[in-house]
Amino acid sequence: MITLPGEVDGHRVRVGCDVVAIEDVQDSLAAFGDRYLRKVFTASEINDCRGRNRVHRLAARFAAKEAVIKAFAEPDMPFPWREIEVTRDGPLPLLRLSGTLAEQAQHQGWASSSLSLSHADCHAMAVVLVVCSPVNDGEAGAGAR
Amino acid sequence: MMQDQIRDVLATHGRMAVDPREVDEQADLYELGLTSHASVDVMLALEDAFDIEFPDEVLKKSTFASVHNIEQVVEGLVKAVA
Repeated sequence: MITLPGEVDGHRVRVGCDVVAIEDVQDSLAAFGDRYLRKVFTASEINDCRGRNRVHRLAARFAAKEAVIKAFAEPDMPFPWREIEVTRDGPLPLLRLSGTLAEQAQHQGWASSSLSLSHADCHAMAVVLVVCSPVNDGEAGAGAR
Repeated sequence: MMQDQIRDVLATHGRMAVDPREVDEQADLYELGLTSHASVDVMLALEDAFDIEFPDEVLKKSTFASVHNIEQVVEGLVKAVA
């Protein structure tokens, strides 16, 4: 039996994933409307999700936010959803962090990330992969493990 | 009673596999079916029920992990508003 390390060439790798029921997002919008949107999504995300498949896009972005939270692997860390933003570079979704989560990512040595979103009629999902900078002895905090 | 109101909110918005009015106050709500997305609805409904706003610093997984934890946070926010 072997225990596989969570790093490649000294670069720690983190992954997170999440799946969200489209119906749940639809129900939240019906129940809380703009309050739901403003609590969870940035203005840019709300704008990006206008038009066809709006609810599916919102659900995929919520899944992305939860995937990022899982990648941090810090259950007691505050997770202001709007500090995690999904942007786009052409067809590719990109991850943008701000505020305390950007600071925490820096603390954990997040160097690059790759984000993938998908949805079907009933569910949306996201996977985020993060590669961290090599951490020297004495620099790694508890959150970087 | 505050805890009863919290349990009612969980019953309406928590989408849990069990009736939250019947669970132990320390029971793990995530284990009982509360999803991250449902916790958003629970939070918004608690804001309405208690006329409070959840600040960023209490938006933690642990805040919604049990009826007891929710009550502690809501109690603190209600006192802060008063």
